[in-house]
Amino acid sequence: MPRTPPPFRLAPAVCALAAVAVLAAGCQKPANPKQGLAVPVEHVAGWTGATANLAPNTPPGEWRSEGRDDANTRYSPLTQINAANVAQLKIAWTFSDGAQYGHEGAPLVADNTMYVVTPYPNIAYALDLTKPGAPIKWSFAPNPSPMAIGKACCDAVLRGWALADGKLIYNLLDAHTVAVDVKTGKEVWRTKMDNVENGATMTMAATVYGDKVYVGNSGGEMGVHGWLAALDVKTGKELWRAYNTGPDDQVKIGADYKPFYSWLKGKDLGETTWPKGMAVHGGSASWGWVSFDPELNLIYYGTANPSPRVPAQRPGLNLFSAAVWARDADTGMAKWAFQFTPHDQWDYDGVNENVLIDIPWQGKTRKAMVQFNRNGFAYTIDRQTGEVLVAQPFGNLNWATGIDMKTGQPIVNPAMQPKPNVKLANACPTDIGVKDWQPSAFSPRTGLLYTAMFNVCMDVTDHPQSYIAGTPYDGMEMTRHPGPGGNWGAFIAWDPVRGKKVWEIPEKFLVMSGALTTASDLVFYGTVDGWFRAVDARTGKVLWSQKLGSGIVSQPMTYTGPDGQQYVAVYTGVGGAAMVESKQAGFPARGNTLYVFALGQAAQQPRPGMQVTDAPGAKPGQ
Amino acid sequence: MRLTLTLAATTLLLAACGQRVVPTSSGMTPTERAIEALPGGDLAGGVQSSIGASIRNPLEGQPEAIAAGKQLFVQMNCAGCHGYDLGGSMGPNLTDKYWRYGGSPGAIYRSIADGHPQGMPAWRRALPPDQIWKVVAYIQSFGGATPPADYQGALQGDYAAKATGKGAGTGAQSGAKGASAPAAQSPNP
Repeated sequence: MPRTPPPFRLAPAVCALAAVAVLAAGCQKPANPKQGLAVPVEHVAGWTGATANLAPNTPPGEWRSEGRDDANTRYSPLTQINAANVAQLKIAWTFSDGAQYGHEGAPLVADNTMYVVTPYPNIAYALDLTKPGAPIKWSFAPNPSPMAIGKACCDAVLRGWALADGKLIYNLLDAHTVAVDVKTGKEVWRTKMDNVENGATMTMAATVYGDKVYVGNSGGEMGVHGWLAALDVKTGKELWRAYNTGPDDQVKIGADYKPFYSWLKGKDLGETTWPKGMAVHGGSASWGWVSFDPELNLIYYGTANPSPRVPAQRPGLNLFSAAVWARDADTGMAKWAFQFTPHDQWDYDGVNENVLIDIPWQGKTRKAMVQFNRNGFAYTIDRQTGEVLVAQPFGNLNWATGIDMKTGQPIVNPAMQPKPNVKLANACPTDIGVKDWQPSAFSPRTGLLYTAMFNVCMDVTDHPQSYIAGTPYDGMEMTRHPGPGGNWGAFIAWDPVRGKKVWEIPEKFLVMSGALTTASDLVFYGTVDGWFRAVDARTGKVLWSQKLGSGIVSQPMTYTGPDGQQYVAVYTGVGGAAMVESKQAGFPARGNTLYVFALGQAAQQPRPGMQVTDAPGAKPGQ
Repeated sequence: MRLTLTLAATTLLLAACGQRVVPTSSGMTPTERAIEALPGGDLAGGVQSSIGASIRNPLEGQPEAIAAGKQLFVQMNCAGCHGYDLGGSMGPNLTDKYWRYGGSPGAIYRSIADGHPQGMPAWRRALPPDQIWKVVAYIQSFGGATPPADYQGALQGDYAAKATGKGAGTGAQSGAKGASAPAAQSPNP
């Protein structure tokens, strides 16, 4: 298999389509920069023909959920900041929260208020965007148990939070979910979801669709019993819980469960594909993202690695680890499932974001979803049926030689299967994969996805484990090193229909930030060594770079301030799985600062948050 | 498998005894009593404590104890948190002479036996004293622990400067070059 996909070449027909798209874009009325209005995108054909339902169509200047829309595109319709002026971006204001762990979430903005939550100890802040310097309106300290710090495998992080029903809703590291009144900053409800002393933590962004909050646990390295649950937004009461391993009643499989592939059909597969008694400590947590199709009324989310991470101890497919679920959003009953890496031997998981897009496929439109899996293959899957349409490598890997499109299963390279107590050299990718949880973004204007990725391999030795509650049920001893080229990371544009890389920006350090796309064809991302960049969505040309105080493992977002100006915000604060590179020379220190940028010329005008301060004028001397 | 049985037996025994551990001085060796008396911080009033310097690991430096400690370190899942090289990951580095709760043999024993609030379990009920000492011997073999004679110096921050162990000054690999704004590869206009 070619390690690096060949340069992307457009077929003549596609070139014609692209030309039409460019012309169409050129014929549109330019956006009024003073109003920061959106360019309508529904009639602009992207290069690939892929589109997305941007429901719930959040007001253009706001960012009310981590994925911005149900489809999780992270696409903003704002256009004030564009390729011509992005180089004039300047820091408007900053905010430091003092928390020392990895900062992985995106700020949310609604009603001229910005909401952020720190990693452990999970303190929430509401910042008033109408006042100079965005002062703190309120803060809320939930005081989670410090025990959780040492039970979280990969730093005491939090990947995001949710705004719904007048509440800010998020998970605490000690396995509780909390809701805070957005006006008062007072706790409305708090629900205990799991037992932290057994190694269960909660790090995912609580996600709200309709009247339900969806949350799941972390702890695939601790032998937890993975689950996802739905809570009542108003009361925090648990409505249903679907485990990811165990018999059909626990995993909520019933008559509606119709997976596409026959190997995923059968009774109690969540239990029978494990050695007896092991499914209940089989890991397979849900700590990634939940996306939602309001027309199909289905939610989509992934599951983590099987526990222990020593495959010799758990012969079998280990369903439903390293998989994706489609479930009824109201009842939680499974509609279909697909396992990316059967009997996961390398800790590849399946938790990465599922971006819901509609693609032209053999003359018809397919409702699809894209997942850049940790295993190094980017999957385009029919989200109605679970059929894999496209599965191509998007980075360096050697554990498999391809995907068998009849079954959707990988063709495993026997030489790269780890054996107990034997060192296996240069397996690619390593446990953090070719890409981890950091979410990609989609632009309906180009029809491409954009994602941060890794280029890392490992020498691995498996040590068989005993299950001891509250300790790691893990067993992988690893040293990690960059793959071919020597760069630890990269940022790429991906064609989800043809399964091809369109362009790639290699980076010396890991790239572990979310991506942000805008209707002005900009893409933003940050690097683990602290560079925040804006690039041209079509060419990958770097248009602007700013070095920030710490590494970036968060998610950039953009909003319109009460002054009508477009801002771009990103948290710094290296941590999380990026710490695998911490011995690399030049690796940044921890940090905890939110940076908010605006255009330089806008900075010349006195307006809230920029040049106006609440400092009094100097008094005359005496 | 033997390990699993031992654990199961321990768990049963503990269940039979109830969840509450009642401290008792009966049956304790002088060393164990000394560990119980070891202060968790500096003594109020600037008084120097000598007790840390008096606690030695009876198994220190014994190759078979170190080998057994290594086995326990992996089997009890210590390595999952502190690393197979003891360099730290979920839990702290045990080789680098920085010890939040003390790096003398007695303090390390106490940390293993009693646990700590940020997720370190207490092993007092699961491991007998000689097994804990074996784990301490294994940790000591990496050179980061404080020799008992340097107990007071370690409290005052004077130990790390003169110590030269395996954990000293990890030289990170170089190779980072200056370019800060890389160009895209294979741009598609």
